[in-house]
Order: sequence, then structure tokens, then C-alpha cells
Amino acid sequence: MENTLLKLEQINTHIEQFHILHNIDFEVQPGEVTVLLGRNGAGKTTTLRTIMGLNSATNGTVQFKGEDITKLPPYHIAKRGIGYVPEDQGIFYDLSVGENMRVGMRQEDDATKERMDWVLDLFPDLKKFWKKPGGQLSGGQKQMLSIARSYVNDNDLLLIDEPSKGLAPVVVEKVIESIEKMKEKTTVVLVEQNFYMASRLGDRFYILDDGITVHHGDMEQLREDEELKRKYLGIA
Amino acid sequence: MELIINLAINGIAMGMLYFLIACGLTLIFGLMDVLNFSHGALFAWGAYVGIWAFDVTESFVIGLIAAILAGLILGLLTELIIIKPVYGNHIQQILITLGFMLVLAELLKVVFGPDIMAASRPGYLDGSWSFGDVTVIKYRAFIILIGLLIFIGIMLVLKFTKVGLIVRAGVMNKEMVQALGINIRLVFIGVFMVGSALAALGGALFVPNSGVAYAEMGMEFGIYAFIVVIIGGMGSVPGSLVAALLVGLSGSFMGYYYSDLSMVVTMILMFIILIFRPQGLFQVSGVSNK
Amino acid sequence: MIKKIQRSTWIYLAVAFLLVLLPFFKDERWFLFLMIQVFTFGIFAMSYDLLLGYTGIISFGHAMFFGIGAYSVGIILDRMEASYTSLLIGILVAALLGGLVSFIAGILTLKLKNHFYAMLTLALASMFLFIAEKWRSVTHGSDGFTFRLPELPGPLEDHRNITIYMFCLVMMVLIFFGLRRLTESPLGKILVAIRENEGRVESLGFRIMPYKVIISVISGVVASFAGVLYAISIRFVGTNVFAIDVTLDALLMTIIGGVGTLVGPIIGAGIIEFAHHYLSSLADVHWIFERWIILFGIVYILAVIFFPAGIVGTIKAKLHKRKHRKIEAKQQNADKMAS
Ligand SMILES: Nc1ncnc2c1ncn2[C@@H]1O[C@H](COP(=O)(O)OP(=O)(O)OP(=O)(O)O)[C@@H](O)[C@H]1O
Ligand SMILES: [Mg+2]
Repeated sequence: MENTLLKLEQINTHIEQFHILHNIDFEVQPGEVTVLLGRNGAGKTTTLRTIMGLNSATNGTVQFKGEDITKLPPYHIAKRGIGYVPEDQGIFYDLSVGENMRVGMRQEDDATKERMDWVLDLFPDLKKFWKKPGGQLSGGQKQMLSIARSYVNDNDLLLIDEPSKGLAPVVVEKVIESIEKMKEKTTVVLVEQNFYMASRLGDRFYILDDGITVHHGDMEQLREDEELKRKYLGIA
Repeated sequence: MELIINLAINGIAMGMLYFLIACGLTLIFGLMDVLNFSHGALFAWGAYVGIWAFDVTESFVIGLIAAILAGLILGLLTELIIIKPVYGNHIQQILITLGFMLVLAELLKVVFGPDIMAASRPGYLDGSWSFGDVTVIKYRAFIILIGLLIFIGIMLVLKFTKVGLIVRAGVMNKEMVQALGINIRLVFIGVFMVGSALAALGGALFVPNSGVAYAEMGMEFGIYAFIVVIIGGMGSVPGSLVAALLVGLSGSFMGYYYSDLSMVVTMILMFIILIFRPQGLFQVSGVSNK
Repeated sequence: MIKKIQRSTWIYLAVAFLLVLLPFFKDERWFLFLMIQVFTFGIFAMSYDLLLGYTGIISFGHAMFFGIGAYSVGIILDRMEASYTSLLIGILVAALLGGLVSFIAGILTLKLKNHFYAMLTLALASMFLFIAEKWRSVTHGSDGFTFRLPELPGPLEDHRNITIYMFCLVMMVLIFFGLRRLTESPLGKILVAIRENEGRVESLGFRIMPYKVIISVISGVVASFAGVLYAISIRFVGTNVFAIDVTLDALLMTIIGGVGTLVGPIIGAGIIEFAHHYLSSLADVHWIFERWIILFGIVYILAVIFFPAGIVGTIKAKLHKRKHRKIEAKQQNADKMAS
């Protein structure tokens, strides 16, 4: 497609001597939520980390907005406009909520302030606990803080790794709603094992298995394909 | 009573000097996981450069500034030449910084000559004040004042500036800081330089108090700084202040009664910490000693 | 596998035999003395290698064990009569103290990051140096002291230096084979696994700490024995045995010779001792040779960056590669034949 936002071509990643990702092809269209599915250890996190430059690809290319970013250091990749919400949320425990938000703020212009206000309206808890150390937040609040922090910059793409992990269903619902709202403003790559969440949010899906992309297509298609779900996602 | 106050002032002054070395060490460790064994040599370099510049310019302040500059430059060189080539390999890093410590100490003898160097105080800091029975040596009060100002300054920077925020965040989670678009290498280099400059300043402040500078003092003070860092907790600036004062005070009091045992007392303090609280008095989340 | 071990053993024994013959061809005092230093420092460096090369533990106070050995035997021979009993007691005390100190350092810090062991040993060594300087009534302070050795029986007394030479050589060879045995034992295998990947060994259910402490103790005992030999060979003990230079020597010998090879440190000891000797005679030529720590320090830094495998390690890697290539070539040939 013409204006593909993110494009991975034949990506191979090694961690130490282990070959984790094998010839991954992956595309993200602007304005959509692309869901990355697959069971534990399939390589979803590694894929996101490779995009961020936190793991370096041994082979293949990552293109973002038409530019080859494969070999760039993580901070350059982030500055190109990719926000990252890691699996462990990456909260700085001894910093307050406000400080956590501020560390990653690359600009302090009006647009940033606007986004900040918007996202704080979305997650009022953050405003409430503004001065509280990040380490003392609940799991759900940490997740919201991490998402809010990635949103506050002028990013064109957010990579969100398993936001539903360890959260109660009510909280998951809240996270879903907020990502639904963000979806109108930005593009998202979502790693999820929670199929309900994936199907609520996703426009397109990719399934990873053992470091290989085994399937991809429109989310619609996956919702109906029981066979596929059973085989790779363990959903009956 | 006067004795106790005098010993306390002496101990606090020494503690401030230990703090100046240790706070750079602890921040560098927290941020980069690098224990810089050559850090103490910066203390000796600061002392020599300070004396030399004071001699040449006859201005004590310029002497201190020269020491700080020397520290900044040596810190930069250490990071670029010694630390960077072995990035990510702990064992190599530890091994190499010790070698650099010895080279730096020996270079001192090459540049300034192998003999002990005499140091003096500027006139306006000579002498003492008397408050009743208590005599306060001016220069010691000056060291304490500078130490306190620097501690407060560091805390303010860490607390209220963006750079300070990044440093604190980096101590906890380097990777995330990078993923937020920050070039952590630059922060490393900056912290390395500032830490080195503080150690050098400590040296320049110390020698007018003791009267002499010698190349091995870097090693001696370096060891005290390690002990302070262990006691205070790796990565914690307030921890290193508290521990430095503890070490300074215990050394001062013990030194008065049994001067030969002051080092032993410090060691015992360290043993106690290692046995009962190996993470140190103050623990920073994200910095692990395992 | 067994065949290969035997071959290298034969080579080592042959070299040892040549070293036995050496003093009958070249018996100048300075040369014998230099070789004795090579042997004692060879033992010392091996004890270092056991830590660094086989367990990844970094000690910056190894001189402490060396000094403990030297002072133990020196003080006991100085205070008691110069008999074999005193000598034996001296050696036992040295071993005991060396083992005890390394045990304490080990249990305090080996569960922590390896920075801690390095720091603690550095600090402890400086404390021992300090004690040796201050406790004058026992150590004679920084002047040091000479002591007498028991008389050797008959003809050996006339060739005292050669006797000491032989004794140190035999000790080095015995310790070498002993340590090699240790590193090839199941314990040694675990140690290497620890060095490679601590987490994994732990997850296999091994508790790592005890192994590390055992090695730390063995290393301490061997190092203090090297100090004993050193003191005996020069019949003098001074505070210099505790100096950081001694630790630097051990580091240099181990790294230049080859970390984790045991034979490397011995070769390293030979190189460094001879370099010491010739460099100090160059001091008249240029002052820089008097500041040999700078030279050694720079060589050391460069070695850590560019030559981390050391001489023996590099040779081994080359041999390994060649063997691989040979096997590959054979395989290819076989493939060709088959097709
Ligand atoms: N640091 C590492 N060292 C060795 N192997 C690793 C490392 N990190 C990840 N792996 C391996 O890489 C593979 C992919 O891991 P990854 O974290 O990408 O999986 P994932 O799909 O995110 O799984 P999960 O759903 O459990 O988060 C796994 O087999 C994992 O064991
Ligand atoms: Mg994952």
C-alpha cells in the first residue's frame, strides 16, 4: 500500500546465540490498530523491541514513514515518532506520576499540553495521584501511566505490549475504552493474548508462532475462523 | 565538651571530602553499572592541580576551578578511552579501571615530580574562630560549607531539572529512558565528567587541610569512597552523604583515642553493613547489588 | 579426550624436566633468583587465574594473601628458632590465615555483584598494609626484617639457591597439576558454567555461593603459599608484599598469559619477571623505565581491551579453529566422495 506507516521486511533477530525471529514481515497502516497475537514465547515482545531498536535485527529492514530505521539507536527511533509501552510498563518507581510523564516529554509546546490535558481527562486517576511515586500505583494505574506517557509526545505510532496482563476484567474494559479513544488520533500496534480485547480493538491481525508470522489478515476474518483461533491462540 | 565539638567538626569536614568523591562514584554506578576504580585518582589529580594553580596564580579560587576543570577533562577521557571500549563487559570494565587508576597515579609523579607536594591555605581561610572554649578552625568550616552547598546543589539539580529527572530515571531503568527518546550516552558522559570534577574538587579542598599531597592519596581516599558507597547504598546521593559523615565522624573520634585504629573502625562499619544490610543504608529501586 | 590430556601432560612434564636441568647450565645467582621469582609468582598468578578465569571473581587485594603468607612464615621463623618445625608451623599458619581471610571476604560479598568482592579485597589489602606498617613490634614496620632459615642437610646447604630453586619448581608443578585436576573435575565444570551463566546454573538447582566460596578459599591458600615461598627465597619480609603492585603483577601475568588456562599465568609470570628485570636495568637509559608501573599499566589496559584471551588463549583459539577447519575439510571431502 502507498502510505504504509511501518513495514518490517524479512526481519531476523538473535538474542545472544538464540535465533528468535525468523523472516518476519509485518505492515501497519496509518489510523488502524494492528494486533499481534501468538502464544507465550512466540516472539511478540521481541518484535516490538526490534522495532524500537532495543534488540537489533541481524537481518532485514524496518521502515517507518518510508525511512529505514533498522540500524538507528532506540532514542532516535523514539524521536521519529514511536511511543513504546513495554510489557512491564517501564514505570520509574521512585519518580512521581508527574515526573514519569515529564521524563519522556520531548517538547513542552501547546500541542503537548493539549495532549497532556486530553490524556489526563482520559485517565483521571493519574491526575489524582500526580504526586505519588509510580511504584505505589496499582497495576491498572501503572498501565494507564505508561500508555499516557507514550501518548503525550507527538507520536505517529504507539507500540503497546500486553496492556491487559494481570488486570481485572473491569480494568481491562477501561483500558479498552481508552485505547478506543486514542485510536481516533493515532496508530497502534497492540500485542495481546486476551482475544476479547484484541477483537474489540483490532482492525488487522498478525499471528506469530515460534518467531514466524503464520497468519495475517483482517480482524473480521479471524473472528470467524474458529480453526485458526484454536490452533494458534488456544481458544476453543 | 570542646573536645567533642572539635572532633565532630573535624569528622564532618572529612566526611564532606569523602562525600565529594563518593557521590560521583555512586551516581556513575547507579546510572551505568560501572564501578570506576580509577575514581580516587581524580582526587589526587585535583589536589596536585589545585596546588599548582594556586602557586602560579596566587589565587585559591582559581586553584579550585583548575582542579574542577582537570576533573572534567580527565573524566571525559576516562569515559571515552577506558570505559567505552569495554562497554557491556563487567569483568573487563572492573579490570581496566584499576589499571587506569595506577597509570593516573603514576602519571602524577611524571607531571609534578615524585616528591610530596606542600600545600597551603589562603590567608583569609587561615586561623580559627573562638566561641568561648570552642575553637573552630576556619578552613574546616569552609570545607563543610562547600560540601553542604554541593550536596544541596546536586539534590536540587536532581529534583528540579530535566537533566536531573533523566539521571534519576536512568538509574532506575536505562532502557526505558532510551525508548522515550533520550540519548543516555550523553547523560552518562555528563555524569561521569561531573562526578570526576567533584572528586577533583575534593582533592583540592583536602590538601590545604593536611598540608601535603602525594600520589598514593588517590588510592587511600578511593578506598574510603568505596566503603562509603557500600555503606550508603549504590546509586543514592543522600546515602553517600550520610555514610560519608558516618565514616568521617567515626574516623575522627577513633583517631583521637587510637589513631592507628581509625581505618579498622571504618572496615568494621563496612562489615556490619555487608552482613546485615548488603544493599546499603539507602536503597534505590532499580539498582541491584546482586 | 583422555589421549589429549595425556599428551599435554607429557609436554608439561618435559618442560618441567628441562627446567630441572637448567641450573646445571646457568647457575649465576641473579638468574637462579629470577627463576625462583618466576616460580613463586607463577603459583601466585595461578591462584589468581583460578578466581578470575574459572569463576569470574575479581580480586583486587590478592597481594593480601601473598603478604599474609610471607609475614606468617617470616614472623614465626623470626620469633621461634630456625627449625623445620617452625617452618612447617609457619606454612600451616599461612595457609590457615590465607584461607580464613578469603573465606570471610567470600561469604560477605560473593552473593553480591562482583564489584563487591573487588572492592572488599582492595580495602582489606590496604588494611593489612596499614597493619604491617603500624604494628612495629611484630612486623618491624616499613623497614621489614630478615630471618634465618633452618640449615639444610650437608651438601644441599652448599647449593642453597639451587635447592630453593628445585623446591619452588617442584611446588609450582605440583600445584599446577593439582589445580588443573580441580578445574577438570565436576566441580570445575560447574564453576565454568557459573562464570558463563550464573542464572542458569542457579535455575538448575545449584546453590552457587558455596562453590564460589570454596574456590575463593583455595585461591587464598595457594596465594599465601606463594607468599611463603617468596619470603623463604629472599629471607626477608617487608611491607612491599602487601602493595598494590603485587596485585597488578598477578593481574598482568594472568591476562597476558591467558585467563582461564592455568599454564598461561605461569608463562605470564616468566614474561613479567624478566621484563621487570630488564626494565629496571634500563632505568639508567631513560627515567621512564623507573616508572615501570606506567608501562605495565598501559600494557595491562591495552591487553584488557585488545588481547583479552592472552597468549595461551589466543593460541588455543587458533588451534581450535584449525582443527575445526580440518574436520570441515574432511567432511567436505567425504561429501564429495559420496556424491
Ligand atoms: N534475554 C533473553 N535471552 C534469551 N532468550 C530470550 C530472551 N528474551 C526472550 N527470549 C526468548 O525469545 C523468545 C520470544 O520471547 P518474547 O518475549 O518475544 O515472547 P512473547 O511472545 O512476548 O511472549 P509472552 O507472551 O510470554 O510475553 C522466547 O522463547 C524467549 O525465551
Ligand atoms: Mg511478551
